[in-house]
Amino acid sequence: MNKLKLTIFLSAASLWYRRRVLALVCLTLTLSVTLLLGIQYLRTEIRQSFTSTISGTDLIVGARSGQLNLLLYTVFHIGDATNNIRWSTYQSMTEDSRIDWLIPISLGDSYRGYRVVSTNEQFLAHFRYGNDQPLTLASGDWFSDLFDVVIGAGVARQLDHELNDDLVLSHGGGRTSFSNHKDLPFRVSGILAPTGTPVDQAVYISLEAMEAMHVGWESGVAIPGRTLSADQARNRDYTPDAITAVLIGLDRPILTFQVQRELNQSREEPLSAILPGVALSELWRMMGQFEKALLGISGFVVITSLVGLIAVLLTLQAQRQREIAVLRATGASPGLIAGLYSLECVGLALASCLFALLLGAAAIAGLSPWLLEHYGLQIRLRPLAREEWLLLMAVPLFALLVSALPALNTWRAGRQQGFGAPDSS
Amino acid sequence: MNNETRQPPDSSRPDTLAIRTRNLHFRWQNQARELAFPDIQLTRGEHLFLHGPSGTGKSTLLGLLAGMHPPSRGSLQLLNQELTTMKAGARDRLRADHMGVIFQQFNLVPYLSAMTNALLPCRLSNLRHSRALPSATEAAQHLLTQLGIPQSHWHQGVTRLSIGQQQRVAAARALIGAPEIILADEPTSALDSDNRDRFLELLLTLAERSNSSVVFVSHDQSLAGHFHHRMALEVAP
Repeated sequence: MNKLKLTIFLSAASLWYRRRVLALVCLTLTLSVTLLLGIQYLRTEIRQSFTSTISGTDLIVGARSGQLNLLLYTVFHIGDATNNIRWSTYQSMTEDSRIDWLIPISLGDSYRGYRVVSTNEQFLAHFRYGNDQPLTLASGDWFSDLFDVVIGAGVARQLDHELNDDLVLSHGGGRTSFSNHKDLPFRVSGILAPTGTPVDQAVYISLEAMEAMHVGWESGVAIPGRTLSADQARNRDYTPDAITAVLIGLDRPILTFQVQRELNQSREEPLSAILPGVALSELWRMMGQFEKALLGISGFVVITSLVGLIAVLLTLQAQRQREIAVLRATGASPGLIAGLYSLECVGLALASCLFALLLGAAAIAGLSPWLLEHYGLQIRLRPLAREEWLLLMAVPLFALLVSALPALNTWRAGRQQGFGAPDSS
Repeated sequence: MNNETRQPPDSSRPDTLAIRTRNLHFRWQNQARELAFPDIQLTRGEHLFLHGPSGTGKSTLLGLLAGMHPPSRGSLQLLNQELTTMKAGARDRLRADHMGVIFQQFNLVPYLSAMTNALLPCRLSNLRHSRALPSATEAAQHLLTQLGIPQSHWHQGVTRLSIGQQQRVAAARALIGAPEIILADEPTSALDSDNRDRFLELLLTLAERSNSSVVFVSHDQSLAGHFHHRMALEVAP
């Protein structure tokens, strides 16, 4: 016990004595451990953020297609629908007693690169994200007039829009469009609070407005004389012929598979009903390879820094022969001197881990408001998960392992040590 | 071999023998030549002056006496324990408990203060710790004071001390806890003559107080007069 205490005491004193040389190695190791830990942390956080893009929705129903495609265009606003659903099909779904609520969605237009989602008040009432969090309006109200638009937090921030601004929507997707619905400008009636999900990156109008905009556009471009002015439009009744997709919430989630099967086998028209959770995890599995590679790379960075640490310790070893001679002559065993090396290596690794934790926590605390503001990424500061602790603990363990090289060297040299330092005859 | 003795060793009381060697030989690894050493018999409290030209194996002999490496032939008894049959760990133990050492230079652990350096043997050996009276720290303070290390330097890094001061701190380390044997390998060769005489005087006085035997290696034969015995190592034919 005394020996261990002495070894710890000596290695601490030795580390402190050589702090200038070792500070740089410690910095390298700290940065690489921060990188490793940061990537593991962000991986978990982004996965969390990703899988909580949509919550509480039991089924997503669209025209027959693959589940990833359906998920991508309904939830992530990526890609296009293959086909639409007839309004009558939607109507018959509303009459199904097992279904608690439905959110109809119609896509197709855009506003300066952001998707236009036409829906109804059900979207605000029933759409959930994250940990079953509802949507809230940061300012204004949900649309009530035909030409009202509610914009996501990301759109408002990027394009610097405020309440009552006028917007001209474009026909079709894409950032630059040559066919704009310039006869029928929309007024911003509300701005959604940030969610950190694709909801922030879209603008929301009513189903009726979508129909009204497209009167006279049946051929794909505006035919002069057949389009409507705003006043004309307000006096008409619009029932859509078709919508793009429906988000469904069931009374009893246990019926999910039953309803899904019935919808998939519908005789009225070919439909696809998917479970968002399943589709999300499949999507994550595809993207997950990338972040695993990233984690692997950062693991190698840590190993590289540890090898650098050993290189420095081996260099220092040459300068330490006299000190080792003194310790040996005073009665220290070769084991104690080898232990000195191992402890110094582990001590440095532990210090680096501690610094990495502090650095990481400071970075997350400092950057998370900025990330949410500019990228809609919600990264919260949380206690480390078990996996992250294991990863962190692996660093000093690995340091102990690689320290075996200088330790063994010293132990062997210590056994053959003569009287006095090797350079004194 | 040249062995002059002022007082005959008191071999009638074997329990008081500090060092006794018989027919001691040593061969370095990868070297054909085997070094032969004269027999030594040193009673506790007596001092031995060892001299001889370079290459005669003075440091090697000290290494054998310290138990750093085992002899290839012969018998080596320290405090009536046969070293040749001991394992390396036991020899380390014996050195920690019963020996103090002083080198030519670079005697101190550079990252420890003068005080901690002096206390090192007490931390490596419980026996030395228990013998340092009244307490290890007080014994170290006492020794450092007697060896003329100013109190302001006790807790400073040893690299700031002069060579003479460093050698005296090394002497304090060798003397603490009253070890039976002190091995000194040319400890005065880096000192000027004033410092040298003062150092030797202090070392021998303090060693006598704790009844320690000093084995002192030096080129400088003028120092031989301070010792009870002198022995010359000669180049093997």
